[in-house]
Amino acid sequence: MTVGHLHEALLYDSDEHFLSVLVPFLIEGVAAGQPTVVSYGPHRAALLRRALPAGSPVEFLDGGRTYAGPAGAIRAYRDLLGGLVAAGATRIRVAGELDPSVFGVRWDWWARYESAVNHAYDEFPLWTMCSYDTRVTPERVLDDIRRTHARIAGEPNATYTPPETFLREPRGAPQDPLRRGTPLLDLLDPSPAGARHAVRDAGLGHLDETDLENLVLSVSEAVTNASKYGVPPVRVRCWAGGHRVLVAVGDAGAGPTDPFVGLLPVVSGEPGGLGLWITFQSCSNVVLSRDGDGFTLWMAAGPPDAVE
Amino acid sequence: MTSPVPVSDVREAVGSHHCWGFDDRAALEFRARPFLRAGLAAGERVWFVTADAVEPVARRWSGAEPFGSALRDGSARVLSVTADYVDGPVEPSAQVEAFAGALAEALAAGHTGLRVVADATALVRTPAQRQAYGRYEYLVDRFMAGRPVTGVCAFDRRELDTGTFGELACLHPCGDSGGVAFRVHASAPADGALVLSGELDTAGQAPFAVALRRAAPRPVDGEIVVDATGLRFVDHRALRVLEEYARERGATVVLRGPVSSTAGLVTMLGLACVRVEPAS
Repeated sequence: MTVGHLHEALLYDSDEHFLSVLVPFLIEGVAAGQPTVVSYGPHRAALLRRALPAGSPVEFLDGGRTYAGPAGAIRAYRDLLGGLVAAGATRIRVAGELDPSVFGVRWDWWARYESAVNHAYDEFPLWTMCSYDTRVTPERVLDDIRRTHARIAGEPNATYTPPETFLREPRGAPQDPLRRGTPLLDLLDPSPAGARHAVRDAGLGHLDETDLENLVLSVSEAVTNASKYGVPPVRVRCWAGGHRVLVAVGDAGAGPTDPFVGLLPVVSGEPGGLGLWITFQSCSNVVLSRDGDGFTLWMAAGPPDAVE
Repeated sequence: MTSPVPVSDVREAVGSHHCWGFDDRAALEFRARPFLRAGLAAGERVWFVTADAVEPVARRWSGAEPFGSALRDGSARVLSVTADYVDGPVEPSAQVEAFAGALAEALAAGHTGLRVVADATALVRTPAQRQAYGRYEYLVDRFMAGRPVTGVCAFDRRELDTGTFGELACLHPCGDSGGVAFRVHASAPADGALVLSGELDTAGQAPFAVALRRAAPRPVDGEIVVDATGLRFVDHRALRVLEEYARERGATVVLRGPVSSTAGLVTMLGLACVRVEPAS
């Protein structure tokens, strides 16, 4: 049995280019008796269905649902892969594509996903093909893709950077337009309960109940972590506009040290890791930023497309 | 880093189960008098259960009308917690039966109900006493719900540290919270086995685990049904406490009507023994 994750990117510039790589990739997998799974939006899924031989046992997942958020995608894929291996699979092929809407302010945490899966799926006998349409993919996104995939277009990739390095590189605050306004809240050293109540009040009228409660849960975990493991003062700021809310929870410390924190539930005993993993699955965007003042966790809630 | 979180009473003040903390016994009597006077005015039989010798306390109360005449005609009584009430750890079921008997007697004598303020400090000094008393709190709370009985468990804060007091206070639907932001108590049997309200976060994790094990709700048909409509926040720590409790009993905890983030959290954590249902 071949173990390990072969993480490959396909950078294509036409439907023909896309199909010329993807169709053989999938057909070879099926022919070898390997579980073969694709996760695409409706347009690419339809292209593939037309191009594949009728009755090909390729499993189609809903790309929008699979890639709702990075930590949830990792959880779903790990469940799927674990099940396939338990059922006897010795090699698995997966192809998928992120919606271009994530190339804006949300790209940072999807770049973290692309890097983290080199580790997170490495226990499985897996070959993934991540396709990106270069006609709609910004150059800064392509740079990250080239650093997070060990192979590109069938060739070993010299610019590949291991996740332990990539994920530790300092990131700045998200370029979220809500930050241009004055924060509705600016709290110093609140208790988790105090922060929850303030954010719940500030978010009312902007978010539906589930999004608001998920954000409140995330803020509670962030303040708990900052208070327990960070360096005071803990500062909580909150902006709201339209149907979106952005919360920043910062402290004067260096932030979590585990590079996979937030993306995987159990990370080397990192304290607070479970709370951050829950936060990653409860918000529409999460950014871990570091600057001269310390560490800040940025959490956005509400429809992410509104800012792209 | 902390700010007190108000935790509201869950039930109407009358016909319910309260917790009071007090700093000296005179202050407890001072607080108890208007409370018991209201009971007499409503036609209830009232008891003041003291940790002091009964005689001097009864003499003091006799001088304060309407307690003088009420003590004479049996509408009011002063009892000793150790001599008349219980000694050693309470036996939870027997204590509830004694309470039921006292209520029946009061009703038979023409009273509208029974109202008791009891200094219960002597009953919770040791861990074994507190374990037994916690179970009693849960059982007596279930007995009281919907019956014309109002009870106050009063605890001397000088003899219990804050954490110990909070672990007892949270087992009452009304009264002083001891800084604990949640309540866990019983409900009428038709409504399920347990009511959780307030907020359960990292600060509540340890007292919640203690309170749940003391209340020790038992599964019915494999389920422990929790009315969580008054639960404004619950985190993964408290859900893990519930999961572990249910797993040990081979049961499922059914959380009815918690905040909307809870179902997702249960799925994320892969909890097999906790199920979330909308409020009925």
